[in-house]
Amino acid sequence: MIWAILRRLGQMLFVLVGISVMVFAIFFATPGSDPAARIAGRNASPEVLEAVRKSFGFDQPFYMQYLLMMKRIFVTGDLTSFVNRGWKVVPAVIDTIPVTLSLVIGAAILWVVFAVIIGVVAAATRGRWPDKLLMVLGLIGISMPVFWLGSVANLLTQSRLKDTWMFSWVPPLGYVNFTDDPKGWFLALVIPWITLSILYIGLYGRVLRASLIEAMQEDYVRTARAKGLSETRILLKHALRTSLINFVTLFGLDFGALVGGSALLTEVVFNLHGVGKLTYDALLSLDLPIIMTTVLYASFFVVIANALVDVAYIFLDPRVRES
Amino acid sequence: MLQVRDLCVSFRTEQGEALAIDHVSFDVEEGEILGVVGESGSGKTVSLLAVMGLINDPNATITGSIRLRGKELVDMNPAQLRKLRGREMAMIFQDPMTALTPVYSIGEQIAEQITTHNKISKRAALDRAVQLLAEVNFPNPEDAIHRFPHQLSGGMRQRAVIAMALSNNPSLLIADEPTTALDCTVQMQILDLVRRLQRDHKAAVVFITHDMGVISELSDRVMVMYAGRIVERATKTEIFKHPQHPYTQALLETIPPLTGEKPDRLKVIPGSPPSLFKRGTGCAFAPRCKYRFEPCSKIPPLAGAVHKAACFKVHPHG
Amino acid sequence: MADVLYHARNVSKRFKVGTRFSAQGLRTVHAVDDVSLEIKTGETIGLVGESGCGKSTLSRCLVRLYNITDGALIFDGADISHLGVRAMRPIRAKLQMVFQDPSASLNPRRRVKDLIAEPFRIHTKLNRKEIAEKVAALLNDVGLLPDHGERYPHEFSGGQRQRIGVARAIALEPKLMVLDEPVSALDVSVQAQIVNLLADLQQKLGLTYVFVSHDLAVVRQVSTRIAVMYLGSIVELGPADHIFAQPRHPYTQALISAVPVPDRPGATARQRIILQGDVPSPINPPSGCRFHTRCPRVQDLCRVQRPVLEQKGGVSLAACHFPL
Repeated sequence: MIWAILRRLGQMLFVLVGISVMVFAIFFATPGSDPAARIAGRNASPEVLEAVRKSFGFDQPFYMQYLLMMKRIFVTGDLTSFVNRGWKVVPAVIDTIPVTLSLVIGAAILWVVFAVIIGVVAAATRGRWPDKLLMVLGLIGISMPVFWLGSVANLLTQSRLKDTWMFSWVPPLGYVNFTDDPKGWFLALVIPWITLSILYIGLYGRVLRASLIEAMQEDYVRTARAKGLSETRILLKHALRTSLINFVTLFGLDFGALVGGSALLTEVVFNLHGVGKLTYDALLSLDLPIIMTTVLYASFFVVIANALVDVAYIFLDPRVRES
Repeated sequence: MLQVRDLCVSFRTEQGEALAIDHVSFDVEEGEILGVVGESGSGKTVSLLAVMGLINDPNATITGSIRLRGKELVDMNPAQLRKLRGREMAMIFQDPMTALTPVYSIGEQIAEQITTHNKISKRAALDRAVQLLAEVNFPNPEDAIHRFPHQLSGGMRQRAVIAMALSNNPSLLIADEPTTALDCTVQMQILDLVRRLQRDHKAAVVFITHDMGVISELSDRVMVMYAGRIVERATKTEIFKHPQHPYTQALLETIPPLTGEKPDRLKVIPGSPPSLFKRGTGCAFAPRCKYRFEPCSKIPPLAGAVHKAACFKVHPHG
Repeated sequence: MADVLYHARNVSKRFKVGTRFSAQGLRTVHAVDDVSLEIKTGETIGLVGESGCGKSTLSRCLVRLYNITDGALIFDGADISHLGVRAMRPIRAKLQMVFQDPSASLNPRRRVKDLIAEPFRIHTKLNRKEIAEKVAALLNDVGLLPDHGERYPHEFSGGQRQRIGVARAIALEPKLMVLDEPVSALDVSVQAQIVNLLADLQQKLGLTYVFVSHDLAVVRQVSTRIAVMYLGSIVELGPADHIFAQPRHPYTQALISAVPVPDRPGATARQRIILQGDVPSPINPPSGCRFHTRCPRVQDLCRVQRPVLEQKGGVSLAACHFPL
């Protein structure tokens, strides 16, 4: 088992290097365009262009440029944004990471817990009213766009019902550092967490219900019934464990993507300066070093999340351990 | 020990009411092996799933009476029935490849059945699992309890399923085609095992199969089913030496012999078994029967003293 | 002596499983291992053995559904071992295969008459009317009614579907038909119908069959000669009657004794040989004689040296150092 995990981590490293080369090639080696001009931003003076060329090593061979870039991102961390006049890119990205992680991890905990409850309850009461009610609620949750839901939540908690007993505890929009004020951090994120997780609760609840119902038709469930186990035990022990395999796959993809910047809409609506918002702003101003770094960072998280999913498989499913 | 009377099982479907089992009555005696033989759709599996209370299809209707040691099972509440399942009666299934939960070890799955019905620790249950696996000839049982189903061959998985079924010393073991998916050299090992365990545990076994050969290897008495009804019931020797029902006769004749003279052509039964939805009012085998005559437009009752057959040719007055 | 229609010479088929990066690395499955077989015109060769013995793989190699790894396939005097798709096309018409599950090989959305007409559309230039006549004749040949052609596959029982499969296979008047477990998925009462149908067609059309099955009684009924396979090799090859009456390889003997047959009046009690254990993995086959791990008569020589298929004074050929 240890060997399987190590091998998986090795593959992960390999994929990461591959992605970084590809991203670098796309941004810096696209034929017919001068990367220096793009990095320097619009209307850059010749002096600035020259400085850019030198600092990114564009007079050297391609692999040297790549190594230099990697060194400036990972080792020295002194990659500079010329568009934003000398802003250090790496610290800027690092600053945003806790915001995004706080948002996404909190939402993920919410959505996993509630989706499992909803999926299990719906599967256990299949065809009866709790199942039907939960599935309709799930569908509504999936259908509500995050930016709309977030705006409505803001409207209610920040303005219309702000002074009532219900929402008087909600702090103004924005992020509070956990280390500065744990309670403030928590309160500031409650509404964003709920907003972000509702879509996923609906989605995952429905997926889990479907795979539980499928699992309940399996031969081994019939064996479990023949053993005299109770329906609850069969559902929770025999069917859920196998159904979680699907669930975890989906979770890995979504979690990785969200941490990598897909929580953008939530971040914008709630004025949280996370990775998504940073990338978004960088794209608006064509800030190449920041885009490069955040893309690398995003792919890094997607790959890590997938590797963690595979490790989870190894625990969930003994069949994966050998092959 | 098991008394089944007028058991009927029907399923509501989109194409109408499908009558899978039609007034089936039989007994299983202590410590005997009853062979149930029939083709697909004959109702052999459904009737014994009904005994186990394992038909949990909301569209199914079950009527009649099933008594296990005097206790009526048909309208028993699910919790009580659950206490009998896996303790008083156990069942093993056709496909050992899918019968075990893939994510738990063999030992865990056997221990689960033991701890469900007995107040003992998991450790003691695992020790018992080792014993059981040794009993079904698992090499290295101490090591085998940590194995997962996918690491075992079909024959080994079926042994594990059998060990599990026997873990609480049930008095009734229902085996639904447990060797059909296995190779014949492995099938022979399993049949041998079932016979030995049946003796050691003094359990009654109901062995369901489509294979007349397997039936003749194993059973004391035989029950032949066709289209949801029992058409013939007798001791094994009687069934094979003096089959009475035309279906049983024809079934035995269509099997090519393994020794002796090879026939030029095999005898055939024309046509195919009837669909569940088109149960006529007469003998279900009549359309394929060479002895068909007027009375066959009515359903023949299972008649006879010891050797029973449902055929007007054998028992003209029913 | 009838002429040889098909000659499989030292055929091997190996599959690669896993990847270089998986836990056990890249492994090779020796599915068929150096098998030679001559099939004579008009005979039926029965291929028997347990799962994993390579009988299905071999039958698929014979019709080039799999590309063979080693050896040669000579059909009707021509080497077809490595012909391309285009060059194989005229040969496919003469070399047909029937599968176990007839429903899986019939497109459920097409009428039976179109399914049977398909080979004519692909391989011949017949016009619509000629095809319709051929289809009607074929339906009759396989014991179906003319109006069955208008229906869809799902409206038929398993036995009838297998008849449709057979009609498709014989459409272009093949010389050799490879039948892979053609009756195994059918109800017992229907199996005999298909076995008889196949025998009738063989006589009428002068077909040669390779009949693959795990059911020894059925194979005995249909075959002229039988090849018993174990772990990718033929361990015994001989006339059907001899194989059953006087098996020479210990595996054949055990296999036959393991078939449960109903007690018939007057039949003598048979001796049982119950083999221990399972068939070993074809990924890592045992050294020497492949059967030595389960053989009740194993001797030291068997563990080191692999026996070849030879006559050694008996009627059938056996791959055994100490034949019975």
